[in-house]
Amino acid sequence: MIPFLLRRLVQSIPTLLLASLLIFFVIQLAPGDFLTPAKLNPNISSEQLAALERNFGLDRPAWQQYLLWMGNMFKGDFGLSFQYQQPVLDIIWPRILNSLYLAVMSLVLFYSIAIPLGVYGAVRQNSPGDNAINVVLYFLLGFPSFFLALIVIYFILQLRNATGLDIPIGGMTSNNFDELPVFGQMLDVLKHLIIPALVLAISDAAGLTRVIRGQMLEVMRSDYVRTARAKGVSERTAIWKHTFRNAILPIVAGIGGLLPALISGVGFLEVVFAYPGITPMLLTAIGTQDLYLIAGFTVITTVLLIVGNVISDILLAVVDPRVKVA
Amino acid sequence: MTTTVPERPAKPTSPRSQSQFGVAWSQFRKNRLAKIGGFMLILLYTLALFAPFIAPDGLSNYSTSNITRFHPPTPIHIRDPQTGGLTRPFVYQYGQQLNMDTFVNEYKPTETRCPIFFGVRGDEYRVLGLFPGTLHLFGTGAENPNCKVYLFGGEALGRDLFTRTIYASQISLTIGVGAVLISTVIGLLMGAMAAFFGGIADTLIMRFVEVLAAIPSLFLLILLRSVFPQDINPIFALYMILGLLAFIGWGGLARVVRGQMMSVREQDFVSAAQALGAGNGRIMWRHMLPTMTTYIIVTLSLSIPGYILLESGLSFLGIGAVEPYVSWGGLLSQAQEGGFASITQRPWVLIPGFFIVFTVMCYQLLGDGLRDAFDPRKRQ
Repeated sequence: MIPFLLRRLVQSIPTLLLASLLIFFVIQLAPGDFLTPAKLNPNISSEQLAALERNFGLDRPAWQQYLLWMGNMFKGDFGLSFQYQQPVLDIIWPRILNSLYLAVMSLVLFYSIAIPLGVYGAVRQNSPGDNAINVVLYFLLGFPSFFLALIVIYFILQLRNATGLDIPIGGMTSNNFDELPVFGQMLDVLKHLIIPALVLAISDAAGLTRVIRGQMLEVMRSDYVRTARAKGVSERTAIWKHTFRNAILPIVAGIGGLLPALISGVGFLEVVFAYPGITPMLLTAIGTQDLYLIAGFTVITTVLLIVGNVISDILLAVVDPRVKVA
Repeated sequence: MTTTVPERPAKPTSPRSQSQFGVAWSQFRKNRLAKIGGFMLILLYTLALFAPFIAPDGLSNYSTSNITRFHPPTPIHIRDPQTGGLTRPFVYQYGQQLNMDTFVNEYKPTETRCPIFFGVRGDEYRVLGLFPGTLHLFGTGAENPNCKVYLFGGEALGRDLFTRTIYASQISLTIGVGAVLISTVIGLLMGAMAAFFGGIADTLIMRFVEVLAAIPSLFLLILLRSVFPQDINPIFALYMILGLLAFIGWGGLARVVRGQMMSVREQDFVSAAQALGAGNGRIMWRHMLPTMTTYIIVTLSLSIPGYILLESGLSFLGIGAVEPYVSWGGLLSQAQEGGFASITQRPWVLIPGFFIVFTVMCYQLLGDGLRDAFDPRKRQ
């Protein structure tokens, strides 16, 4: 398994380098350079400007600038955000963590919704329950996640007005967050996370449920499941051990490819729920042309996605022993 | 002596062979849901084409003296409240009053009635940018400019939301589809090139596809959007978003095309074409790519909903269409204005979202119908 993982890791390095090259190239296309907004800022002195210009090597040709930028990033220096007057990494790291919480939470809910529904649909194929689930999911496929979120907010607000229940729908923490004990703080964040995560999970679940149902149906007809039944294993073992484990292989292999979409999907809900994640900050960064911030976010999420890909490879190796040999 | 004209032998009625498309079409016609989806889409596009005629107001008309910010929808009455008899449809004019308890401007219907006329003269427009007109399907005429029909209510600047929604359909319905078409062409071209030339071209293109897939699409779009200035020309902004959507989406198709082309390249008909002296371009376009027609039609129709959703999302985030143009997603962003707690006071701003859902559903039904129609295993 180790050589397999190493091989995948080595393979991902060129992708990462090329991605950084693309990001750098796009930023080069942007009008002006990193310092254009800074030059307009009266708070930045000309000595500082000169120092920045030297640091980023803006007087040198583009390929040298790229190497310098890459070199600085390896040392953990992502440049300076002009809007916040702070190193980029300090600003974006908490945001990235927040987004990751939401993404992980929604991923967990996503699978815990899609897997049971998909398996149920395959086991009780064409039953009224299966048909009802299919219709509802088909309908949900048409909803953009942010629209679903707005509708949910509308109904929660109505519910709140009617019953006076305190259902948190915005932000990540309550007002009295700092006064809460550590456990209470965790619970508070969890309470804020659950609704956006659930909305995202539900609006995405339709696709995966269909795939799982189709896979299950296909595997259920295969010879080895019939053999397992013939030798007298219980229905539960036949479904979960023999069918399900084989049916989810393509899905596990696809988790890595799912992550970019997940991070993007989280972004929309962050905006709707005013959650302090990556995307709201990125959107303001566009307005202020804070290019280092945008580049930093994009590079770090790309790195994280590649890490996610490796994790999904490990998962695949755990579920499918054949991978280790190959 | 008479000669008889020999009777013409009746044409042998050979069984007409059906083309692949003929079979698919007859299969498609059996699928009722897909037909409904297709019909509704035709209806939607007609609506979008004649948007200026159907909308009672101009795209960006609002009064600076009579501010109608978030005007509630005006119900249309057809019965006279006094006599109870049928009359010409009318709406009440709404007046505003500051509620001294909540300090919120409240809209209340007044006694003034505004009759609704059909086929009124109003704002000038051009259908397709060519045919000028002033006729509108319905409206209250020019007698009392402060008395208007707000079928879906008003939006943040007091413009008629129904008008905006209908106009927005022009953008929402075309950008997603256009982006899919362009990205399909790019995907075909890149995939075919990678397979045909192999070697460095193949490595470069496939690496590029990998990189595009590795960066989260939303962030890539935001990054690419930041290349363009904020105060961009509204028309140019539409082309920009079209281009960006097309640019990020071609990777998956290019991979599949490459795989298919690689296997086709080795087949006899390609060698035959080469032996006959056909050029690279001809072999690619006339001999190799047509083997993928079915696959492309099906993926095309199934990926349109995704693009419409993505476009609406971008407009919702404010990186899509720019004022005065707007798409359904952009209209939804008004639900966010002034903090989401105020959404309960103006639920009608959510209406454009249902247009997105409806369109996406129609495309899904159509796409599923096409997929089944081309799938030999699902023939009836």
